[in-house]
Amino acid sequence: MDIEIFPHRLLGADTTEKLLNDLEDLDGVKRMVVHGPRLPPTEQGHSDRRTIMVKGEKVDLQVKTGRVLLEIEEEETIEEVKEICKENLPHGFNVHVGTFIRKQKTVSDGIKYGDELKDIPNEMVGLTDQNAQLSERAKIIKKDK
Amino acid sequence: MAQYYPGTTKVAQNRRNFSNPDYELEKLREISDEDVVNILGHRAPGEEYPSVHPPLEEMDEPDDAIREMVAPLDGAKAGDRVRYIQFTDSMYFAPAHPFVRSRSYLCRFRGADAGTLSGRQILETRERDLEKYSKELLETEWFDPGRTGIRGKTVHGHSLRLDEDGMMFDMLRRLVMNKSTGKVEAVKNQIGDELDEPIVMGEPLDEATLKDKTTIYRKDGEAYRDDADAVEVLQRIHVSRSQGGFMPE
Repeated sequence: MDIEIFPHRLLGADTTEKLLNDLEDLDGVKRMVVHGPRLPPTEQGHSDRRTIMVKGEKVDLQVKTGRVLLEIEEEETIEEVKEICKENLPHGFNVHVGTFIRKQKTVSDGIKYGDELKDIPNEMVGLTDQNAQLSERAKIIKKDK
Repeated sequence: MAQYYPGTTKVAQNRRNFSNPDYELEKLREISDEDVVNILGHRAPGEEYPSVHPPLEEMDEPDDAIREMVAPLDGAKAGDRVRYIQFTDSMYFAPAHPFVRSRSYLCRFRGADAGTLSGRQILETRERDLEKYSKELLETEWFDPGRTGIRGKTVHGHSLRLDEDGMMFDMLRRLVMNKSTGKVEAVKNQIGDELDEPIVMGEPLDEATLKDKTTIYRKDGEAYRDDADAVEVLQRIHVSRSQGGFMPE
């Protein structure tokens, strides 16, 4: 199941970094999508356009965080997510339950990747816009086991 | 006494204050004439006002009773161009909003033309009068550096969530918060051209002051439906307008 964290303010890079790191600590979170208006290219010097560190992995933050979509395994995780949000989002937030991340490969994926589509793992489906390169937008962060 | 706006709430009172030309709005910050000219971006500071016609005194105008009755604006007298200033007001408790601006501009600023859209509001008049009016608009309660934007173009942002520091979204980042001083600085003019020096616009007002000064009814502030007087007048206008359109036999 998916949940959406909807903060009442658009988040800067520092808060996003902290929020993502805390969320990444939860075992029940499988995938995350950071969603929001795109930031201008690095050369234009926007203070939020920078590389953030999530569990030791460099992630190029390309958007101003407006929503964070999470794919979770169990319903209990929602309460844990709310606790983390309370700590990190002092201006308030909503958590919605629904389907926010696409789970199945589509015809558009077939057109985009051709025969290589079958080699793409299911976990990588639905994470980006159809017109974006997966390598530029998606990052795999290994869980400590 | 002129009746500007119905209602018993603080929001209604604030709306009346803006519209009433006899009410003196609180001055919140100091912005020099030169900075106002820089923010407007229509001419360089110190430059002569470009003109579109010779001064009225030099023009051979036809005899006309209205021309004699109405004194021209300073700008019209000199033959200035018509120029504009445009504002975007966040729906998160900005002090003013487009319709209040329009009503008040027409009550307060002589010879000014107001244009209202959902998220932005433009004021057009002769250049030297515009600079005078703009100074008033920027220095007094009309303006809050966090929730109001001076945007000649790329106005998008009035209905978007605010940034964490309370600033309204602006794709061109004309007004930016200086984290070290806590004050907002204008780094670009109203159409997004870089300024040589940033202009300090002061600190954004805090949430409680904004809620006190706002002219926007909101459910999480003062709700419109709770203002019985305002709703009654609105309904009376609605009914008489509808019935006025009929012609019963």
